[in-house]
Amino acid sequence: MTSASSSSKQTISLEEWECKMAEVPIAKSDLNQLIMNYLIIEGYKDAAEKFSEESGLQTQVDLGSIEERMQIRYAVQSGDIRLAIERVNDLNPDLLETDARLYFRLQQQHLIELIRQGRATEALEFAQEELAPHGAEHPELLRELERTMALLAFDRQDSPVAELLEFGQRQRTANELNAALLAAHSQPREPKLPALLQLLAWTQAQLDDKARYPRINSIVNPVLEEPADKT
Amino acid sequence: MISTQQHRQYIQQLQSPNPVEVYSALRTIKNTIIGSSIKKTLYFQLQIIPSVTSLLALDDTDVQIRVQATAIISSLAHKGEGAAKQLLDSGVLTPLINQIAPGSDPVLMEISERALNALLAYTSTKMGAEEHTGTMIPYLLSIVTEGKSIVSVYDMHSHARVELAVLILGKLCVTEPRQYTIADMGAISLLVPLLCQVYPRLQVATLRTLSALSYENSEICTALTNTGHNGKPFATILLDLARSHDPEIRLTACLCLSNLSRMRVTSAPLKEVQTVVVPALVKLMACENLDKIQVIRALGYLCHEEDEMQKAARDAGAIVDLIKLLADIESEQDGDFVDIEHNTKLTKAILLSLGTIVSTDDECRRKAVDCSILRHLVLAMGSKDSEIRAAACLCARYITRSASICRTHLPECGILKPILNLLSDRSEEVQVTASATLVNLMLNLSPVRMEALKEGVVDMLVKLLQSENVMIRRNALWSVRNTVTELDDDNMLKEILDKIKVERLYELAIGQDEPMTQEQAACIFRNIVNEGQSGINILFDTLGSERMISLIQQLLTAGDDKFILHGLYLFNNVAVRSPEHCDLIARCEILMQAVIGFLSSSSPELIIGAVWCISGVASHRVDGAGDNALPKYIDELNLHNVQSRLESLAADPRVSFEVHDRVKSCLDNFTTTSSAPS
Repeated sequence: MTSASSSSKQTISLEEWECKMAEVPIAKSDLNQLIMNYLIIEGYKDAAEKFSEESGLQTQVDLGSIEERMQIRYAVQSGDIRLAIERVNDLNPDLLETDARLYFRLQQQHLIELIRQGRATEALEFAQEELAPHGAEHPELLRELERTMALLAFDRQDSPVAELLEFGQRQRTANELNAALLAAHSQPREPKLPALLQLLAWTQAQLDDKARYPRINSIVNPVLEEPADKT
Repeated sequence: MISTQQHRQYIQQLQSPNPVEVYSALRTIKNTIIGSSIKKTLYFQLQIIPSVTSLLALDDTDVQIRVQATAIISSLAHKGEGAAKQLLDSGVLTPLINQIAPGSDPVLMEISERALNALLAYTSTKMGAEEHTGTMIPYLLSIVTEGKSIVSVYDMHSHARVELAVLILGKLCVTEPRQYTIADMGAISLLVPLLCQVYPRLQVATLRTLSALSYENSEICTALTNTGHNGKPFATILLDLARSHDPEIRLTACLCLSNLSRMRVTSAPLKEVQTVVVPALVKLMACENLDKIQVIRALGYLCHEEDEMQKAARDAGAIVDLIKLLADIESEQDGDFVDIEHNTKLTKAILLSLGTIVSTDDECRRKAVDCSILRHLVLAMGSKDSEIRAAACLCARYITRSASICRTHLPECGILKPILNLLSDRSEEVQVTASATLVNLMLNLSPVRMEALKEGVVDMLVKLLQSENVMIRRNALWSVRNTVTELDDDNMLKEILDKIKVERLYELAIGQDEPMTQEQAACIFRNIVNEGQSGINILFDTLGSERMISLIQQLLTAGDDKFILHGLYLFNNVAVRSPEHCDLIARCEILMQAVIGFLSSSSPELIIGAVWCISGVASHRVDGAGDNALPKYIDELNLHNVQSRLESLAADPRVSFEVHDRVKSCLDNFTTTSSAPS
């Protein structure tokens, strides 16, 4: 797509824009639903409870399940993978049974934790007895196992796979598990709000080619800014 | 790491009188075996089944213990069909079904449903559950009914229970009587509204079950199309779901729509199946999170013997995409991290679907050939897996149905040698499909026919004729039939027949073999005599006049029109091509009466065949009398009032134009000098 030239772009003033915006109906109840959806999916149990009370939202939130999910997430984030697996199996024993990739991801994380703690012999034994047979049944996972085993071959500072030992790796595993738990119970994997914000950013990028208009340049401080003058 | 000794101790701990110890052992075992095939095997070896089933069989077992024991059964059932069968044989179904009875503890109910769902994932266990369906189905439907009252999108466990109940119902639909039992208990009216709820997993489960419920069942398909929800007809709901953003919903909705289309339900949206479902399935083949094999099989099912669907698949890019998938699998074949088992199944599914798509339309075949399908087929014919070899042959069979492809692409693609090799494959299924493909390669227009003869195909066919598999014998005879057609080489014809043996063909044509082989053998006789005097001489010299006449007579008196037609044209070809042998059959009263009798047949094809025979006989003139020679057999024919019967046929307004024209030409023989049919 080619950009329209600066002179051919239509300019929309802030006033005009705000008038148009005022014509778009947004129901308060929809906004509340969006907020509740965010709180529940992201696991803010207490906030969801409070919000439910204050907003009068008639959603029967299964707060117990939020708590269970958050405990699992916390266990992964703190490196206690065994506990996380036990909790997942209590919540939904089919999940790790039927999702070989997710099961592997958790076992891999456990292996990483053993290596992080310097328990190399135990790590090797675990890889050999638990992960290797699983990899043999799912060869597509073997590459990832090899990558993890490389942690044993290098010092942390020289390791080409050092990122596996970073907190971000636990976070990724926790997110993947949380999304799988949500999906396994017919719930959206992601909250709707971030997707709406992504849509806003994408729409502005599309519109940038065609018009000068009051933009939102920061989603943290979403103020409409006057379009820049023609240059 | 836990040692085997410790695992053994956990099993022993299950016998403890202390429920806390039992619970603890069960929980540890559960967490050990979930996800791990090796640990499941270990626990099977440690005889876990009797320990766990006995816990469930006791009336006073604590709910928490039941939950853990049931979770173990669920996990063990995931090990595979053998494991599930073993569990079923141990009698776990009864306690599991009791645990889903209305009023049961919800957590126990959910885990029991999970166990049932896992146990009934295999054909043998689905069938083996027959005696329990009477109790199980009403319980499952009662859980589905409860699902109506779920109002919260976040009520995870309630949704799970309904979803699992729906899935189990679908798994029970393995026979037509089961489909009717479930439908008659009110499943349709309970399930259809679930499609309009916004819980993706429940929608997918419901679509899967409706697909199983309506599979190959036109009555249930019709019943479904007569339902709907909130004023929306069922088919419209499905079409909306077939456009969903969720690929799994799209796929399962397509499966349901395919059923309606395949059963030709009058109110089914057939046009939309072409314009929505076929392209949707083609796009879904590229979806990473879906089971590609299922998508490809669904496409094949939809296109099976459906010309319009095949064209729609071609237009949606299915041929190009499927062949590209084949190429991708081939390219990663030697990689270290390849799931060979999955790729084998995928390759087979692709080849079978491609075969279906190219089975009737020449343009589809051309598209496939343009995408180098022949190269991939040759490669697949060398696969270690017999099912892939068989699928490749099947696909090659459909591709080689195209005369233009046979003429232009066969010589250089190198398909002949692999096909010839596969004729002696250790798998009978491969021999069947390879010999079926050979039939097309031996057609008179095929440029590889002579090459095949040089490669010794006749000896191979002789071997196949001795096969115990009737399909292989049929295909071998069909190949012989094509081989002797328009051979234009008397010596070669004699050589082939010396090897095949006319006596054997005679026995096959009149013997007690299956009708499909008899028919091919009869057709070979018909084609040999069509080759002219030399073929006729070989047959009469080998069998003698009496047996040849007996063969024709048997064919003419067979109950099946196909055999009668072969008899008629065998008669006609002898009559036309050999004056000497014509005399033998024309003067055979039984044969002539049989032929003339078909002038009164209700089948236009048989009338035309009989008229050709009469023309063939009537065209002969008295020897040596030149152009003005007298007709040789007209008087004999008229003793049977043939001319007047032909005149009646010519005047009969009920006969088709084709019969009429043929009769008129034949009558020329009775009035003027005319030539014989070519």
